[in-house]
Amino acid sequence: MLFLSQLVGRPVRDRDGGAFGKVRDLIVALGEEYPPVTGVVVRVAGSRDIFLPWSDVEAIDTSGARLHTSSIDITSFRQRPDEIRLWLNLLDKQIVDVEDRKIVRVNDIQLAPVDGRLRLVAVDVGLAGILRRLGLSGPGERLARVLGIEAENYIQWEDVDPVESSVSSLKLRIPHQALATLHPADVAHIVEQLAPRDRAGILAALDDERAADVFEELDADDQVDLLEALTPERAADILEEMGPDEAADLMADLSDERQEELLGLMQPEEASDVRELLAYGEETAGGLMTTDYITVRLEETAQEVIDQLRELHPDADHVYYLYVCDADETLVGTITLRGLIVAPPETPVREFMRPEPISVQLDLDAEQVGAAIARYNLLALPVVDEDGRMRGIVTVDDALERALGEGWRKRLPEVFEPVDER
Amino acid sequence: MTARLRVPRAIRRARRSVRQRLPNFRIHRTGIMAFLGVLGPGLIAGLAGTEAGGIATYSVLGAETGLSLLWIMPITTVMLLIVLEMAVRMGAVSGQGLGDLIRDDFGVRWTFFAMIVLLVANGATSVAEFAGVAAALEILNVPRFASVPLVAAGIWALVVFASYRVVERVFLSVAVVLGAYVVSAFVAGPDWGEVGRAMISPSLSFEPSILLLMIATLGTTVTPYMFFYLQSSVADKGLGPEELQLGRADAVLGAVWTNTLAVFIVVVTAATLYGSGVTIETAEDAAHALVPVAGEFAEVLFAIGLFGASVLAATVVPLTTSYTVCESFGWESGISRKFSEAPVFMGLYTALIVIGAAVVLIPGLPLIGLILVSQYLNGILLPVILFFMLRLVNNPRIMGTYTNPTWLNVLAWGLTGLVTMLTLVMFASSIAGWLGWF
Repeated sequence: MLFLSQLVGRPVRDRDGGAFGKVRDLIVALGEEYPPVTGVVVRVAGSRDIFLPWSDVEAIDTSGARLHTSSIDITSFRQRPDEIRLWLNLLDKQIVDVEDRKIVRVNDIQLAPVDGRLRLVAVDVGLAGILRRLGLSGPGERLARVLGIEAENYIQWEDVDPVESSVSSLKLRIPHQALATLHPADVAHIVEQLAPRDRAGILAALDDERAADVFEELDADDQVDLLEALTPERAADILEEMGPDEAADLMADLSDERQEELLGLMQPEEASDVRELLAYGEETAGGLMTTDYITVRLEETAQEVIDQLRELHPDADHVYYLYVCDADETLVGTITLRGLIVAPPETPVREFMRPEPISVQLDLDAEQVGAAIARYNLLALPVVDEDGRMRGIVTVDDALERALGEGWRKRLPEVFEPVDER
Repeated sequence: MTARLRVPRAIRRARRSVRQRLPNFRIHRTGIMAFLGVLGPGLIAGLAGTEAGGIATYSVLGAETGLSLLWIMPITTVMLLIVLEMAVRMGAVSGQGLGDLIRDDFGVRWTFFAMIVLLVANGATSVAEFAGVAAALEILNVPRFASVPLVAAGIWALVVFASYRVVERVFLSVAVVLGAYVVSAFVAGPDWGEVGRAMISPSLSFEPSILLLMIATLGTTVTPYMFFYLQSSVADKGLGPEELQLGRADAVLGAVWTNTLAVFIVVVTAATLYGSGVTIETAEDAAHALVPVAGEFAEVLFAIGLFGASVLAATVVPLTTSYTVCESFGWESGISRKFSEAPVFMGLYTALIVIGAAVVLIPGLPLIGLILVSQYLNGILLPVILFFMLRLVNNPRIMGTYTNPTWLNVLAWGLTGLVTMLTLVMFASSIAGWLGWF
């Protein structure tokens, strides 16, 4: 195993064995699974750095580098855009450990010959890397063993996602592919650990739909911060993909001008949903509800409904109850997923629906909405206006939070951030 | 069938909007709590600056030297202003904590060194805070063997099981009691003309005890944990360069508050204790400074203020320290983590509290002396941290166009050099003293 820290500072010798400088940095080309080393930065006399292409290097190990040539052409090499300097751009920087889904620091960088080339294979994020760089490998690792601490911790390069930070001059072309494979809750967890200005970079790598999922997993204050870091167009795109209730909650925390700006950029249909939800008092059924739900007509048959469900591919939240409305959107009944499946295919909805559905008015107090859901043991409760027209549904997760009240939330420990109010 | 669907999502986390969480502060609470709810981190750093270390050091300064060293107050104020402003600027521009930046820019070895320095300084501060707790409660006749372990366990548990912010707000409001020093100064009625003259007439002495007092005053005014805390807060709040003026105003307010209070503490202890033959050896002695305003209740008032400020700082210091160390080494941090998930963070946090409390319990150690020693240590280590800070704040790769202007660099490096000189002169004159040259 070869580590970057063991190479840097070692002498660079030409073919005749004469030392003319010291290894200062290695350059790798990103893109491959294990990025190959493409060059060496050498510190020569007069505190000047020169670049040497890897083809000039005959061998490199912990005793230093040896070159093929004795004449050095310093003009023939340029650092290309897909290349990074390991010491300058990667060492000591934060990276996303995709496998363990957290932010860690690069303590050292592991290199190994793969397919006949020296390549970057892993980053060392463990105690061993720190000890090696402090020159305390021997005693430090013995102490760690005595204390039962696992000193070695390497992350394969393929499981690494570099954090684009204002500090590192790294402007990566890596599209954070690895991040896209994570569950949105995990991405949100990673985003929360990052410095605010690094967050937008992660989000830029995700498509609107995934970004929206991540947004919904974030704390409200982080949502606002993150949204403000995006261009208005991108923010509007993401808001469109969020549930209208989530989007409305988020936008309620923005300034009026910002709200209008974003609403103006959103698709008219999504914007009007959000606008409607924004108008309701927060502590009412209207404020709790979402406008995402599925309505069916009285005369449709069970088979027709199932066919259309298949096509719509609805979310689990919305498939359990379907709401039966007449021509002027008045709620007249509900059908359950079970009822739909056990009904003979040709039966019209009106024959197997549950008539006289339980519903609440738009202005009902949020706590009573929660109580109603708990009492009737529902997954979602329809909300109607004064004329009995269907306006939205309150889902159990949103309502229970109210019904259980402050006490439930207080029992969740708060994560420490060294901040005042967030 | 009409459908209005959104993107799929299996389980949504319980919604926690700002408006759901904040009404508790904005609507239901009034008075001091509401006021504190809108305070910025700069003011909090400033308020937490007048804790056990500050009160003890300023009291001793006033009682032992009268007004003769008051002239260093304007200098420490400028220094605090400069340092807090730089912390705010670095937090806002880089979006990173100081620990993060040191690691990013200096690499493992320097980071290791800086963190050792920080651990020593903050460990000493933690000791000072528990000494403050012990001293405050001894005035109220609670022996320290009961009070210190209880408070230590209480702080640990409150932060782990409740919320850091609750602790912060409660004790911050208690610490405001220290404003009584201002009233006391006016009641005591010193010669204000003389106070004004003392502010601008420097007098230098190479007496080691005087030099030590000056270093302690610097160390307690510009304490490393304050600006580490401030920068992380600003970075974590996501304050951008465009809001820099707001952050600066907040920091200025904090610096001015804490140093105004410091001046009044010196003035009032000078007026009540200097020349009376009383040297401050216990907290009761220091409490006499509040007699003009509180009469027989002076000790109780002093005890309450000292207790609040000390507990506040005893909470902030271990948290800030563990957070900084973990961020610079890339270890998991967060107070709600299980011990096995964030072993270093929880271990450091616990250790700083346990050590702080344990040192205070060593029999026979004088509390005020203990506090002063910890402030000397902070003063001696301050230039090291300032060196890192000044290097980083002038790095255009990090700060872009927000590096220090030349005049600020001259001032900041000048003051850093001055503090270093002071320490060196103090060591030299101590050695000279031992060798019998004086």
